[in-house]
Amino acid sequence: MRTLKKEYLLHLMLIPGVIVTLIYAYGPMAGLVMAFQQFEPLSGFFKSKFVGFDNFRYVFQLPDFGQVLWNTVIISIFKMVLFLVVPLILALLLNEVTKQWFSRIVQSAIFLPFFLSWTVLGGIIIELFSLNGAVNGLISSIGFKPIMFMLDNQWFRGIIIGSDVWKGMGYNMIVMLAVIIGINSTLYEAAEIDGAGRWKQMIHITLPSMAPILILLAVLSLGSILNAGFEQILIMYNPTVYEGADVIDTFVYRLGMFSQQFGSAAAVGLFKSVISLILVSSTYYAAYKYNGYRIF
Amino acid sequence: MRHKQSISRKLFIVFNTLLLALITVLSVIPFIHLLSISLSSNTAASAGEVRLWPVGFSFDSYVYLGEKVEFFRSLWVSVKRVVLGTIVNLFLVFITAYPLSKSNDRFKFRTPYVWFFAITMFFGGGLIPTYILVKNTGLIDSIWALILPGALNVWNMVLMLNFFRSIPKELDEAATIDGAGHWIILWKIYLPVSLPSIATIGLFTIVGHWNAWFDGILYLNSPDKYPLQTYLSTLIMSMNAQMSSISIEQIKAMENLSEKTLKTAQIFMGALPIMIVYPFLQKYFVKGIIVGSVKE
Amino acid sequence: MKKIKPWKMMLLATMAVSFFTACSSQDKTATTTSEPVTTKEETKTNTPPDPLGKYADLVTVTEVLGYNPPEDPRTPQGIKPEENAYFKDLKEMLNIEVKYKWTVPSSQFEQKFSLAMASADLPDILELDPKNFEKLKNQDMLADLTDAYKQYASPALKKYMESDGGFAMKTFESDGKQLAIPAFEDPFLSSQQLWIRKDWLDNLNLQAPKTIDELEKVAEAFVKNDPDKNGKNDTYGIATQKNLFFWGFDLRGFFNGFGAYPSIGDNQSAWIKDSEGKLIPGLIQPEVKTALGKLQSWYQNGILDKEFALKDENKSVEDITAGKVGISYGEWWYPNWPLNLNMDKDPKANWIAVQIPGMEGPGNTLVPKIRSSKLFAVNKKMKNPEAAIKMINFYIEMGNKKYMDQNKAEKGYVYNWFNPRIYNPAQIDTIYTEVNKALDANQTEITLDDENYKNVADVFKATKDYLSGDTSTASRGVNWGQYFSRAAKDGGWGMTRQLKDSKAYVNNEFYGIPVASQVEKGTQLDKLMQESFTKIIMGAPLDEFDKFVASWKSLGGDQITQEVNEWYTKQATK
Repeated sequence: MRTLKKEYLLHLMLIPGVIVTLIYAYGPMAGLVMAFQQFEPLSGFFKSKFVGFDNFRYVFQLPDFGQVLWNTVIISIFKMVLFLVVPLILALLLNEVTKQWFSRIVQSAIFLPFFLSWTVLGGIIIELFSLNGAVNGLISSIGFKPIMFMLDNQWFRGIIIGSDVWKGMGYNMIVMLAVIIGINSTLYEAAEIDGAGRWKQMIHITLPSMAPILILLAVLSLGSILNAGFEQILIMYNPTVYEGADVIDTFVYRLGMFSQQFGSAAAVGLFKSVISLILVSSTYYAAYKYNGYRIF
Repeated sequence: MRHKQSISRKLFIVFNTLLLALITVLSVIPFIHLLSISLSSNTAASAGEVRLWPVGFSFDSYVYLGEKVEFFRSLWVSVKRVVLGTIVNLFLVFITAYPLSKSNDRFKFRTPYVWFFAITMFFGGGLIPTYILVKNTGLIDSIWALILPGALNVWNMVLMLNFFRSIPKELDEAATIDGAGHWIILWKIYLPVSLPSIATIGLFTIVGHWNAWFDGILYLNSPDKYPLQTYLSTLIMSMNAQMSSISIEQIKAMENLSEKTLKTAQIFMGALPIMIVYPFLQKYFVKGIIVGSVKE
Repeated sequence: MKKIKPWKMMLLATMAVSFFTACSSQDKTATTTSEPVTTKEETKTNTPPDPLGKYADLVTVTEVLGYNPPEDPRTPQGIKPEENAYFKDLKEMLNIEVKYKWTVPSSQFEQKFSLAMASADLPDILELDPKNFEKLKNQDMLADLTDAYKQYASPALKKYMESDGGFAMKTFESDGKQLAIPAFEDPFLSSQQLWIRKDWLDNLNLQAPKTIDELEKVAEAFVKNDPDKNGKNDTYGIATQKNLFFWGFDLRGFFNGFGAYPSIGDNQSAWIKDSEGKLIPGLIQPEVKTALGKLQSWYQNGILDKEFALKDENKSVEDITAGKVGISYGEWWYPNWPLNLNMDKDPKANWIAVQIPGMEGPGNTLVPKIRSSKLFAVNKKMKNPEAAIKMINFYIEMGNKKYMDQNKAEKGYVYNWFNPRIYNPAQIDTIYTEVNKALDANQTEITLDDENYKNVADVFKATKDYLSGDTSTASRGVNWGQYFSRAAKDGGWGMTRQLKDSKAYVNNEFYGIPVASQVEKGTQLDKLMQESFTKIIMGAPLDEFDKFVASWKSLGGDQITQEVNEWYTKQATK
């Protein structure tokens, strides 16, 4: 009885969020039925032919699907790891900067590439890594042969991963900085008194305090494991590197070349969603079971 | 010993500063490149001659852009959208994260609620179902179509939830003992303490609203209602790669729209307002908030 | 004080004529009118068929629009599609009002139109591509325009539709019903030519190449012998980008020179008639292998850019403008864009068009049978389908000289926002003929007085300006671009005419919407082709081609061939 009284306010607070989510997030989900239909816009949801799992079969049986899936996973994993490690290092380094103005400039600068779209950035990067570009210029000046980066499967993947991390690292870095700033300064003062240097402080205070946010970011990024960066790859790839860099989304995008493939696209989307859900919920429950820790 | 420490510390600081400065420069270079293109003559830009400094200095594209009534009209729409959207988003995120940040024994239905929201991060209906829903809720052609559908950003909410959890329980307990209900605790205690996280999430929300362009195309029926990025996107014509021939009209259009300087000027103008706003928000990423209020 | 505007005169005249016709047709009993009288259609508005007749009651027409920004810089700032001045005239002259359900940038049109279809919210007048046309036709959602066209089409419109013997119209006819009016152009506009820097040829004392071997020599010279004489080794041979078959800066013309017809640039194989009259896929014929072999050797010796596989068309344009490359296969319109950019950048530059080089002499280009990507249809639910025909008539009428002063961009007339609009399919040819006529007669302005006036006059002015060096209206490059693409006897269109006359072409016989197997397997086959061809050019063994052919056939190519031939026997309008 008392619980309900105390809790009713909490329920009340959730109502606006629930309503909006119900209408605009769950409402459209009814459209997931498209994945099981041969959807035609003119026929709509009610008159399009129901084809069961045919769409899924069609996509999965396309000759290169396996390779495409592999590319997606590999590229994603690298990106996931780097998207955690690099911003973390940056955040920690920034934390050691004493001059506020310098710190703010660096933060702003690092966040800037976030604003550029891939349509713009893609062209710049291609230019940069082309035979006559700056990078090869550097390489030849120290005596090595120029490399055709964008035409080699391995190098291209590296560029995809690296440039995406460079572009987006500001985001996670800011989140992490916000956490670092929130750490109780008395903890540091106490450690200082005990004779711990900055390094020890970082290892024993900063990092542990950041554990929750790091875990959260890691688990949530697991949910995007099958999104390897559609727009980026679409802009920058070319037939020579399809083998190593064609990912699920670019693959499906091209499927619409001769006719809009609503059903197949929806099927792939549903597939990705299910995988994400499985990954995230299993990590969530594993963390709960073994540590009593709820990630969110 | 202290002597040794301060040398390695000094070295570290030098190394750190240099590294961060290098990263800063690298991050800013693409913008300088874009800015230079936008300030160059069109023939030089089309020939790809511009690197880090304008070639054939010309303000033409900016003058052109500045004369366009649509530019200022859409700028104003964007401002409205960002202000309204951010207020709505932050409010919803704030009041939704609070109940969900309580532990399970203090809030019985917490977990189901959390999964209710979390699932929407992985599953979506897709373009067509969402469009039909927005249409059926009467939002087409209204600025609210750009605000309500995404009004509760679950990712941000989960971040906020996490931030809330790091707030010392003592604050909560002290306030409850004093007889404060949840609502009061939320606004009088959590709010001041969460300023860094609010600033962070606020920043992301502002950026998200500012950069969004596709929803404008989808939900708005006439160009005079477009926000800035949507308007800017209309100036860049992309040729459908599936065409096998250009019609005579399209050729004429290519002639006009391949103005590289104009394109980059737009991109720059699109990013500029945010780049100016960002440093002001940084103020809130400040150390040492009110934590001192918990003494005994 | 008040000048009676020309169009008001026309309107009065039209009304007078319709009045008299109405009177006279009501008097007659058994009829001898030249127009077949429709007995089915109840003429509730008593208006006899007049191509530009004004409706007694206001007719509202809904449309949607995919638009590009107004071309003319003198157009008033901030003007919206709804404010198009043509609509004002449309209302006054024909009493038709246009309401837009929505307008979007043209690149988003396809997307938005799908949403409109999915939410069952289609306008009265529909601008369609062949695929959407088929969909709507199959759902029986298109109005029958046969009668409306017969009765209301203006003489000019009828002339246009008959200019190709009615081929295009028949393509969009079904069960004797005309379901759409196609906006089509002369298919020869797709002819491939070879564009070369004349000044580079002159600098190196070379002739324009007629055979592939000659082209090789010229291209090599362009690579090695500093053709722009700037002391730097910064030029390469032939412009190419990652899409081997595209709408520009690609290699279609190159393959054609070998008697190979792999593609018209639409991500599928082209189809040519074999000796028995059946259609075979150009993509897998042996001539393609020979051509690839040559490309491979050209890649080795630097005629092709080593990184062509990662370049897109923007880069090709950049290279051309910057003077890094001086040879490109392309269509008639190159001078219009992008060669004009190069001409403006480099005062010494000069480009010429040459027939594509072949094995023993100039080669044959591949040409489609129909070149139409846009059709206008009417929603079956619309009450006045003939309004669409009238609007087309109206637009064509507006090209006449008498409207020129009125229809200026500065007054808010944006022509590329008006739908439905049909151009004279022989537009370019008309321009060519008329401009040259005027030049030969030493005229100072165009005296032609029909709906082609505007287009002809614009090119004439540009030509005059270019020949006299006048850059007050536009730059030298832009003027040259207009002149050399459309009017010059040895320019883009001039060369195309020669190709047409000398029958130096082969037809792509398939022009239907993608067949079922194409929809299912087409993307895969295209990927296979792109990967195989690119690898071969970059050095993989030439016999990989044979493996490609085998894969292509088994992964769906054979099925597609079968279906294409079925289409050919049953549906092709021959």
